[in-house]
Amino acid sequence: MNRIAFAISVALAVGVAHAQDKTIKIAGFGAKSGPVRSFGVNSEAALVAAADVINKGGGVKLADGSKAKIAIEFYDDRCNAEEGISVIRRIAGTDALVAVGPTCSNVAEPLFGILQKKVDDASDSGLQFPVFTDVAIKVGLAKISQWAFRNVPNEMTMYNSLFYWLRTQYPGLKTVYGGVEEDFAHSRATWYIVMKDRAAASGFEVVGNTKWLLADTNFATQVREMKKANADIVAISAHPFSACGALKEMARQGVKPKVLVGLTSSSSMETLQGCAKQAEGMIIPTSFAPINKQAVAAAKTTANFKGAADLHSMAAWENVFILKQVMESERISGKPGDVQADRRKIRDGLAKLKTTDGLIGVTKRDAEGEADKPYLFVQAKKGEWKVLHNPL
Amino acid sequence: MDFYFGLAQLIGVHTLLGLSAYIVLLTGQVSLAQAGFFAVGAYAAGMLTVLAGWHLVPALGASALCGGALACAVGFPALRVKGLMLVIATLAFGEGVRLFFFNFDYQIAKGELKVGPVGGEGFRQIRFFPENGWETWEVMLFIWVFVAGAMALLWWFDRSRYGAVLRAVGEDELAAQSVGINLTAVKVSAMTVGGAIAGVGGGLYAHYTTHIEHASFNILLATFAIAYPIVGGLRSVYGTLLAVIFVQGILVEGLRFMGDWRNLLFGALIVLAMNLRPSGILGKGRHA
Amino acid sequence: MLDFLQAVSDGVLFGATYALIGIGFTLVFGVMHKINMAYAAASVGGAYAGLLVLQVMAGAPPWLVFLGAFLAGGVLGWMVYALCFHFIPLSNPLATLMSTVGMLLLIDEVIVHVTAGMPQNYPAMFDDVMLRAGEFSMRGDLLLVFAVSVLAMIGLLALLYRTSLGLATRAVSQQPVAAQLCGIRLVRVNALTFVVTGLLGGLAGAMIGASVGTLSPLLTTPLTVKGLIVTVIGGLGSIPGAILAGLLVGGFENVLQLYRGVTERDLYVMLLLFAFLTFRPGGLFAAKSGRD
Repeated sequence: MNRIAFAISVALAVGVAHAQDKTIKIAGFGAKSGPVRSFGVNSEAALVAAADVINKGGGVKLADGSKAKIAIEFYDDRCNAEEGISVIRRIAGTDALVAVGPTCSNVAEPLFGILQKKVDDASDSGLQFPVFTDVAIKVGLAKISQWAFRNVPNEMTMYNSLFYWLRTQYPGLKTVYGGVEEDFAHSRATWYIVMKDRAAASGFEVVGNTKWLLADTNFATQVREMKKANADIVAISAHPFSACGALKEMARQGVKPKVLVGLTSSSSMETLQGCAKQAEGMIIPTSFAPINKQAVAAAKTTANFKGAADLHSMAAWENVFILKQVMESERISGKPGDVQADRRKIRDGLAKLKTTDGLIGVTKRDAEGEADKPYLFVQAKKGEWKVLHNPL
Repeated sequence: MDFYFGLAQLIGVHTLLGLSAYIVLLTGQVSLAQAGFFAVGAYAAGMLTVLAGWHLVPALGASALCGGALACAVGFPALRVKGLMLVIATLAFGEGVRLFFFNFDYQIAKGELKVGPVGGEGFRQIRFFPENGWETWEVMLFIWVFVAGAMALLWWFDRSRYGAVLRAVGEDELAAQSVGINLTAVKVSAMTVGGAIAGVGGGLYAHYTTHIEHASFNILLATFAIAYPIVGGLRSVYGTLLAVIFVQGILVEGLRFMGDWRNLLFGALIVLAMNLRPSGILGKGRHA
Repeated sequence: MLDFLQAVSDGVLFGATYALIGIGFTLVFGVMHKINMAYAAASVGGAYAGLLVLQVMAGAPPWLVFLGAFLAGGVLGWMVYALCFHFIPLSNPLATLMSTVGMLLLIDEVIVHVTAGMPQNYPAMFDDVMLRAGEFSMRGDLLLVFAVSVLAMIGLLALLYRTSLGLATRAVSQQPVAAQLCGIRLVRVNALTFVVTGLLGGLAGAMIGASVGTLSPLLTTPLTVKGLIVTVIGGLGSIPGAILAGLLVGGFENVLQLYRGVTERDLYVMLLLFAFLTFRPGGLFAAKSGRD
């Protein structure tokens, strides 16, 4: 963390040294406390790393032709709704032009609720501040407000493609069984709305599902149900802690499905820290893997700022570059008096985007403010996530 | 400035939660069910404004009624247990309420959207304030009217015979009973008033966050409900307010300049506060 | 029927971990008449500290990790005493309730900072052993946990009834003032109680880590709740009661899960608990009622 603080202070010091240099503030926020701390730490590192790259290249071009450096300020919201709301109000009170965050869907949902629902609706006193989410992934959140945008993977497309690929790759497999972490908004929605439906669409027979809770420790009964179903494919829609618990119980009871599918968020280091041996062979669709030169470079730069590159933190990285592009195309002024006008320009610019350049390919954007990102399939092999297939 | 108004809203809501535990603590009962009453109030007010289209004020009245009625119903069986047993019994009840909302679906179509609570996914778009064009400071004033009302009520209790009776039961039940105080009436009434205050607080909370889900009303919230009056001290209602400002204003928001240390200091400073002021910020070292 | 028996057996066996954590809660309550809310967190903290053994000595056998957790638990137990109880007057039960809640949050956050919140793989013994009889099966590693809780109970009872420390502890728990008049050093006995329960907690944390297979800060809150529930069901201060209650809670939980599903499981557990406490306020093994 000290290095980041150091980097920021250097950036600020440089700003002071060259008085003609302006700065554009982008606020980051997310969880840096509690069990999801690693997400916040990685996002912050990716934001600072991306800003560093842009600043080294001169910075952002403003309306009057001058250049401004990007400064990142990161706030911890503890994955708590009330604190998230306080944080966004605090950010809106500074001269930050846009915010990137949050980590948790249970923060994103209330937070988008306090934003103005429709732009230019004078009867709605909601906050007018653009938020460009990198991590919170629960299906269908950006439509809550026209000030909310997301650059998170579209699970619908990803699992559709994954099950289709499995269908062609393993024609002998017929049945799918689900394991769902029932009390967490994201994992729950991913099974019931996404996986179950997409598996059926690819011609698999969904033979049932079993449920557990986020902090559960005993999976004996659930895994017995799973064993009875004896499905060819087991899809686990759960976060790493309970996913590992269930996988370990599966190993104990000798449940060995032919293919194991996991939740997008599990394709991080967490699962491998918790249970690399039992997760061996698990296939997960993800929107990031170091498959080309720029992706490798982004991962390396982020590592220099003590952050790991995964589908979530690299979305934060992409967001900074997308925002730079929007700021330049919308010709923001960057002057202290124009903060609200610049925020509006950024919002309009984000709303206008039809496509954006991502690290592993072109992302399509829709009218609701959601992204349809390129993706690939990774598989856990000997304690690492290896690229299994690139469908694009 | 909006940030401070927003923070004041949050402090107001938490003060109501703390006050609801304060009056129950005066009778010597430690209740972890307050988060449950808070949840009932939140869902009741949210459903009335969003689904039934009520104005917020009558909806909050309904929250108070629901919270109070439920607390009254819990008060009777809970009378049978004391001390740690009561802590766990009320914890079980509060968790039961939370888990009820985890399983609670009630949606109606409104335009093209379906609105209302859906079990684990929560209840979204409780936007009474922004939809009616209320500014942040107006919402703050609105919330603080209720906080001031609740504080005035409890302050008045403290001055009256009723307050003396509450404290007498809290100090020594046996002695209180032997001078003819009706323990049942005292304990159940304190619980009911507490439940009603928690209900109002919950109703305001739902409109503050615009989205509620079962996980927001967990044991941690129940623990904070009793933490505020304990950290603040039971000598007066101002203690609870001070403790909420200490926790939400200083530990959560005020220490942001400490960066990563903020989270570590949160628990550490609570430990320190209890070591320095065992009877609370406003308490004298007389008794608990 | 087999499903039912299997669910009972799975649940009761896993209940051994609840029993182990419940013993510590009940012991502190028995001696000091205080709740130590930080107990489960300190136990998990001890289990995490045990992982340091693997850092120093890669490939160390699991029992060495458990030993590390056991010792670290003792140190943490003493720290909890020093920070949350020593300076706070005994007549102030609410203050120690809050100080230990603060400690719980602190320990949680320290774990989060050291591990970035990521779940950690935990070594286990006998985790590949499955006892089978046809369709019916039992986990070998949980039988070990069960054996450990029974041994811990025997050890504690021996300590309480066969040693002079135990005599002093019981004296303090019954009549602190009289015990002090007899020359028993109250502070020392209280501190030692915390060290002993801490050692036990570290072991419990390690056993839980081993039987879950993964450690996460997510464990602390549910374990705290389970520990408290087990303590009150068993009867405050009763060690055999805590063990029986742990197994009962585990069994009930799993049977309800089988018949009512996971979303309603805890709802029924909580309602049953509420009913149990209001109808039998003393718990299974109610202590002789006396004036506190």
